[in-house]
Amino acid sequence: MFKFRDSAQTARQQDGRHATNADGNASNVHASFTESFGPMKTVASPESRLRLFEEVILPHLNSAFNLARWMTRNDQDAQDVVQESYMRAFRFFDSYRGGDGKSWLLEVVRNTCFTFQRREMRKSTVVVFDEAAHTPSVKQPNAEEALVEAGDRQILRGCIEGLPEPFREVLVMRELEEMSYRQIAEVSGVPPGTVMSRLSRARKRLEECAKGRDMESYR
Amino acid sequence: MNCSLDLIEAYLDAELDPGDIASIEDHLSGCRSCSETFTRIRAQKANIRSIAPYYTAPLHLQQAVRKALRQAVADDAQPAGGNPPWRWLAIAATVLLAVSVSWNIRPTQHAIPEIGPLAVNIVSDHIRSLIGTHLLDVPSSDQHTVKPWFNGKLDFSPEVKDFASQGFPLIGGRLEYLMGRPVAALVYQRRQHIINVFTWPASSAKTERPFARNGYIALHWNHGSMTFWAVSDISSMELAQFENLYEK
Repeated sequence: MFKFRDSAQTARQQDGRHATNADGNASNVHASFTESFGPMKTVASPESRLRLFEEVILPHLNSAFNLARWMTRNDQDAQDVVQESYMRAFRFFDSYRGGDGKSWLLEVVRNTCFTFQRREMRKSTVVVFDEAAHTPSVKQPNAEEALVEAGDRQILRGCIEGLPEPFREVLVMRELEEMSYRQIAEVSGVPPGTVMSRLSRARKRLEECAKGRDMESYR
Repeated sequence: MNCSLDLIEAYLDAELDPGDIASIEDHLSGCRSCSETFTRIRAQKANIRSIAPYYTAPLHLQQAVRKALRQAVADDAQPAGGNPPWRWLAIAATVLLAVSVSWNIRPTQHAIPEIGPLAVNIVSDHIRSLIGTHLLDVPSSDQHTVKPWFNGKLDFSPEVKDFASQGFPLIGGRLEYLMGRPVAALVYQRRQHIINVFTWPASSAKTERPFARNGYIALHWNHGSMTFWAVSDISSMELAQFENLYEK
C-alpha cells in the first residue's frame, strides 16, 4: 500500500503517546510530563479569547455554511446549523489544540447537523419543499452555454444531494472544500481508508446518476 | 504494477508520494483501461468544481454570528450586572499578592492557571495514573464488581456505568485523593486512549468550563448529587460524546 503525503499521521501518533507510554520508559514519560505542565501559558481575557477565535475559526464561515448547506439541503436549516455550530465551537474553544482550524470547525458543524436533524425528526412536522431555498443563486457565464449548463448544473446538484449522507459529506469536503483524506478523516471520525472507499463509491454513484439523468457531459 | 482504482483516485486527489506518482504515471501510459478510468474521474472532478454550487454564507449570517459571539463574551464577563468599582481594587490586590507570592516562594511558576487548581490537579492526576503501575485498584469491566469495591473506602457510593457497546468500555476503578478528599476514579478505554472519570458528591451546581492543557482535555459536569470530571487525550468531541452517555 502507498503512503500519504502529509504528516498529520505523525502528529496524531505523538498526540497519543502519553496513553501508549503507560508502562514505557520512565524518563520519556517524565519528559512528557514536564512538557505538559511547564511553562504555563498566561491567562487569556475573554476579549483576547474572542479575538483569537475570530482570527482562527471565523474565517472558515463559508466552508461551514457550504458543508451545512449540502448536508441539510436547505438554506434556512444550514443557517441555523452554522449559527449553533459557532456558539458550540466558541464554548469548546478552550479545547482547541491549535492546528487546522477548518477541520476543527467542520467537525463541530457536522455534529451539529446530526443533532439538528435528530431534533427536526422528533418534531416530525410536514416538510414543505421550498423551491426558493433549493435553488442556488448562480451567475450564468454566457447566454449560449447557459441553457445546457443550467441543465447540467441542476442534474449534478440533484445527484450530489441524492447521495447518502456518508458519501455526500466526503465528496463535498474533497471536491468543494479541497480537503485532504487526513483532514476529512479527522472531521468524520473514520480512518483515511474509509474516507477513500466512501469517496470512490460516491464518485461511482454520482456518475451513474448523472448518466441516468442524461447529463450533457456524459453524452 | 497492477491496476488499482484506489491509486488512480489518490493520484487525482494529490495524495501520493513522489515515488508512487512516478509508478502510477508509468502504469497509466501503458494500461488502456486504467487510463480511461483516469480520464473519466478527472472529468468528473473538473465538472464538480466548475458547475456544482459552492454555497457562500450570506452576509447577514456572518453579522449574526459575530453579534452572538460578542454577546456570549459580554454575558461571561458580567455575571451579576456589572463590576462595582471596588472589584477592580480587589482584583489588583489579588494580582499583587499572587505576583509577590510566586516571586518569593515559587520563582519558576510563570502564571496562575486560569481555572482553579482543581482542573490542573485533575489533569496531573490523570497523567500520574498513566506513568505508574497504579492505574487500577480494581481491574474489572463489570460495574457490579467495581461499585461495591468502593464500599467502606469512601463516604459515598459512586455511580458506575459501562459503555462498552458505545465504544467506551469500563476497565476498572481506583481510589484517589483530590484536593484533600478521597474520590472515586473510574477508568475507561477509548481505542488506545485512557479516560479517567473522577467523581464525588457535588458541593455546587455550577458547571466548570472545559479545560485543556497540552493535548489533554478535562470536562466537568454534575449529574444527580454527584460531580464528575472526565479527562483524556481523545478529541474534545469524543469526550463530549462520552459525557452525553454518562448524563443519559
